[in-house]
Amino acid sequence: MKRYSVGKQATEMLKGVLEGIVLAILSGRPAYGYEITAWLRNQGFSDIAEGTVYALLVRIEQRGLVDVEKVPSGKGPPRKVYSLNTQGREYLEEFWRNWSFLVERLEQLHEGGK
Amino acid sequence: MSDAEKGGFIAKVIGPKRRWREYKARVRQLPPNYRTAVDAIERYLMQFVPNDGDSNASMFEDLADLFEQAAADGTPIREIVGEDPVEFVEAFVQNYSEGGYVPTRERKRLTDAIARAEEERLR
Repeated sequence: MKRYSVGKQATEMLKGVLEGIVLAILSGRPAYGYEITAWLRNQGFSDIAEGTVYALLVRIEQRGLVDVEKVPSGKGPPRKVYSLNTQGREYLEEFWRNWSFLVERLEQLHEGGK
Repeated sequence: MSDAEKGGFIAKVIGPKRRWREYKARVRQLPPNYRTAVDAIERYLMQFVPNDGDSNASMFEDLADLFEQAAADGTPIREIVGEDPVEFVEAFVQNYSEGGYVPTRERKRLTDAIARAEEERLR
């Protein structure tokens, strides 16, 4: 996999779409916070804090987009494993529609500016 | 300051005393540097205006969850809170009963005043 470490601007941009990214990860399979953070870091988002992902997970749980299961872990307290529920899937679809809209408009702007 | 001295304040601001004591006990079990970080975050969280005890108790319990798990995983403090701890705490606090520096009634006052100002133009 291509490793690419992003700068401050990309980190700022990432914040706006982090919720969608996390839901997309969870649409593949259930995961706990640390796994999600590790995946993001592995993708080059090295500045992403575990706490930021954790706060986001708390929020999507409160909004009813995920189901949560407490799974015993070998070390430390039980882990909260998050999985996307029906409401979460609908929300994710909406996210992708908005994403496509945004990308299309930005591409036009980009092309127009050349 | 002992829990007894802070009793009235805690009961009002952080919610049930028992949950607060349990949270404090969990924090004491953390490795020293994690405890230092949680104490600092706790102090900062106290600056926000809480508006319901249960929600605030949940906030501190979730904070303890995060640090207990991170300590078990051996995640360095910097990777938990990020380059900008203020940003992390502010994103975190937003999840609990509209956590903010400003009392809810003041936010409502601003929202209502702007709505009235808008209506004035239409008249």
